[in-house]
Amino acid sequence: MAYPTLIPSARNYSSGDYPVKTFTSQSGAESRILYGSRRTGMTLELQYDNVTDANAELFLDHYDETKGSYTTFTLPTAAFTGWSGNKDAIDAATGNAWRYDGPPQVSNVRPGVSSVQIKLIGVL
Amino acid sequence: MAKVYTGRDGRLLLAGTTLVKVSTWSLQADVEVLETTTLGDYARSYTPGIQAFSGNATLLYYKNDAGVNDAATLLRKVVNTTGVETTDTVQLTLRLNDGDINDDVTLTGYITSASFGASVGEVTSAQITFQATGALTTAAI
Repeated sequence: MAYPTLIPSARNYSSGDYPVKTFTSQSGAESRILYGSRRTGMTLELQYDNVTDANAELFLDHYDETKGSYTTFTLPTAAFTGWSGNKDAIDAATGNAWRYDGPPQVSNVRPGVSSVQIKLIGVL
Repeated sequence: MAKVYTGRDGRLLLAGTTLVKVSTWSLQADVEVLETTTLGDYARSYTPGIQAFSGNATLLYYKNDAGVNDAATLLRKVVNTTGVETTDTVQLTLRLNDGDINDDVTLTGYITSASFGASVGEVTSAQITFQATGALTTAAI
């Protein structure tokens, strides 16, 4: 089962970083060592407000299918709707894939309507 | 037949019994809307949420020959020494009458506020506000 192809109500992206180790000497001088050539650890928060319970269930089913935070996956184009820049800029960087950073948070708004909050993290 | 309703056609009933000295009543019906706008949309969209009904009424603080004071019956729901229990609901019917035809809205609710006082040269009246709990029992308008 693929990630649900719903358009989010809000999206929050953070770019992550390259694997850099920083050492600071007693004099205050800083040394940095780059341990890899790929950026990772990007995070993506997706909010789906007031969707039907059936659609909210899709996220719970997908979370279960990926065995929680164990399996990685890619996101459909719908997750990036509204972004007019290059999709690669806010998707998992090269070599990365998304996994859940926590379980989906489902809030029941009224009978048959729920809001879902998803937190993802990009990993190599 | 055409009909223009006026205050003469208005009634307020408590548990099916018409309250005698009512000078005003009003009902407010609301439905909240839940936003379903998504990224990429150019116009906001909504889906209906929860309904709510509330209102207010003004009754003369009047005691009839039998000693019954309609206003006091409602006032005692919040002006008392024992607090308000979940059982302290009232069934109110807001009616517009056209001969044998009644346009009724009936609700069960709580009296949420009451105010009354006395002023020189004025008839004493009581203002109450009410908040319905649950759906309307009747909405024949």
